[in-house]
Amino acid sequence: MDRIRRNKYVIFALVFPGLIIYAFAVLYPIFKSFYYGMTDWKGIGEFNIIGLENYKKVIFEDKVFVTSLINAAVLAICTVLIQHPIAMFFAIIVDKLGGKLESFFRAVLFIPCVISIVVTSKMWVNVFNSSYGLLNKFLDAVHLGFLKHDWLGDQHVALYSVVFVIMWQGFGYAFLIYYSGIKGIPEELFEAGRIDGANSWQQFINITYPMLKPVILVNVSIAITSSLKQMEPIYLMTNGGPGTKTQFVANYLYTQAFTAQKYGYANAIAVVFVVICLITTVVVQKIFKPRDI
Amino acid sequence: MAETVSNKHSIRGKIKKKIFRYIQILLCSVLTVGCIFPLIWLINFSLLKANELFGPKFLVWPKNPHWENYRLALTDGKVPQYLVNSVIVAVVSVSLIVILSVMMSYGFKRMRWRLSNVFLNIVLLGFMIPIHATLLSNFITFADLKIQDSYFALIIPYVAFNLPQATFIMSGFMDTIPDAVEESALMDGCSIFRLLFTIVLPILKPAIMTVIITAFLNVWNEFIMAATYLTSDRYRTLPFSVYNFSGMYSSNYSAQFAVMALSAFPSLIAYVILNKHITKGIAAGAVKG
Repeated sequence: MDRIRRNKYVIFALVFPGLIIYAFAVLYPIFKSFYYGMTDWKGIGEFNIIGLENYKKVIFEDKVFVTSLINAAVLAICTVLIQHPIAMFFAIIVDKLGGKLESFFRAVLFIPCVISIVVTSKMWVNVFNSSYGLLNKFLDAVHLGFLKHDWLGDQHVALYSVVFVIMWQGFGYAFLIYYSGIKGIPEELFEAGRIDGANSWQQFINITYPMLKPVILVNVSIAITSSLKQMEPIYLMTNGGPGTKTQFVANYLYTQAFTAQKYGYANAIAVVFVVICLITTVVVQKIFKPRDI
Repeated sequence: MAETVSNKHSIRGKIKKKIFRYIQILLCSVLTVGCIFPLIWLINFSLLKANELFGPKFLVWPKNPHWENYRLALTDGKVPQYLVNSVIVAVVSVSLIVILSVMMSYGFKRMRWRLSNVFLNIVLLGFMIPIHATLLSNFITFADLKIQDSYFALIIPYVAFNLPQATFIMSGFMDTIPDAVEESALMDGCSIFRLLFTIVLPILKPAIMTVIITAFLNVWNEFIMAATYLTSDRYRTLPFSVYNFSGMYSSNYSAQFAVMALSAFPSLIAYVILNKHITKGIAAGAVKG
């Protein structure tokens, strides 16, 4: 029997098909990008090998690249400090509702997450539109007309509009993870807290928060790494503009390759991007690793 | 005396509790409106004429719905054609993701070989790699292999990018079930592959549900690879109809809204029917991921 479990042919047959697809479409492209990153290829025609020139430029000189990283950091900070507290707050409230109301709110809050990002992004472009958009109409209606903006065109607010949409789209996920974390806390703990006369705030500080800590850490690390990897909402709403105010790394490398025709340089960005994602993930996991479970 | 005091106390407590509950419901309702009002607005205006959008009202009762928008969506928006493509790509990709991840997890977790952990970790590395970093070279590779205009150009990367999470969920679940049953089946001379499909697969059902749901949502809503790897319309998937149509009818907003509503429709219906499974599956997948 042990012989069967050590059978090399069986192991190969089990593991190889999955591994080959994964290696072909995920790992191989990165090595290939590393090679193209060393060229001055424009996407068509001949090209020369220029060594690590592109990589140096990405890391030390490219201001747009830096802007993209800063934008990702802004998104991560907003997500963790705004979206997550709201999501946690509502997870606690919805959990207490019980019955039909609870399932209703839980179901409805997740709806934006099941709709394609193309639909939601284009929808928000319309909501933000300065001539017929829902948002400016709403501001007019509540006599806050002075707050009206060209939400995606104004260089001072465009980034925050994009950040808002990404937080709106991801809210259901953050909510759901906190909600199921709260569901996992044994009811007896709250029972005991109530008998000891703890009010809602004390219950939160002494029971919910410490019990939820591992979930919070997981949720926060997902938020940070996914902020770095955003692309579709940006591509569909602003394509990085106005100027480079809302540029993110993934969208930047895409436009460098397919719009600016700097295919070699774009590949160098892609490789640096992968390295940054790996480092960030490892660091975030080290910092946010739940220690005491 | 003491009784009346405690009675009064409990009545006040009850009232306080009721008020609290109403406040909670109110807050949740406000949030819900924030979450889905834009969608309602979208559906509302998809039933109107394009110029009605410019009025001051948020919502307009569509006295005589302008179904023309939906006719345009179905014909020029090519929603039916894209829908068929989406279904084909999603069904094939998700089936492959499930089968391959079960096989791999079994190979990594239950078979005995020296490098099993190394290879598992290489697969899990895929979690960290951004899809977008592979767009450029896969675009070239698929063009070189002449598969850039085929279902393969979508199915291959979709399977590849969903395997890390699927394998993670499967192998995590496999760790929690004892292999005593498998041992005795092997003892009776059952082959590994028969064992896998007759005994292991049913045990893995909860993990498979989670994988199906997360992978399906990923694949169904994926846009950027579909927009990059495919050069003609023939194989494009549903998210693309919105993108395409908003270029064609750039000033007919309500027709655009109709396309958006139509392409959101299938996943909404699926969600309404399966919402319990979906929320459960997503939560399980995310917490483990």
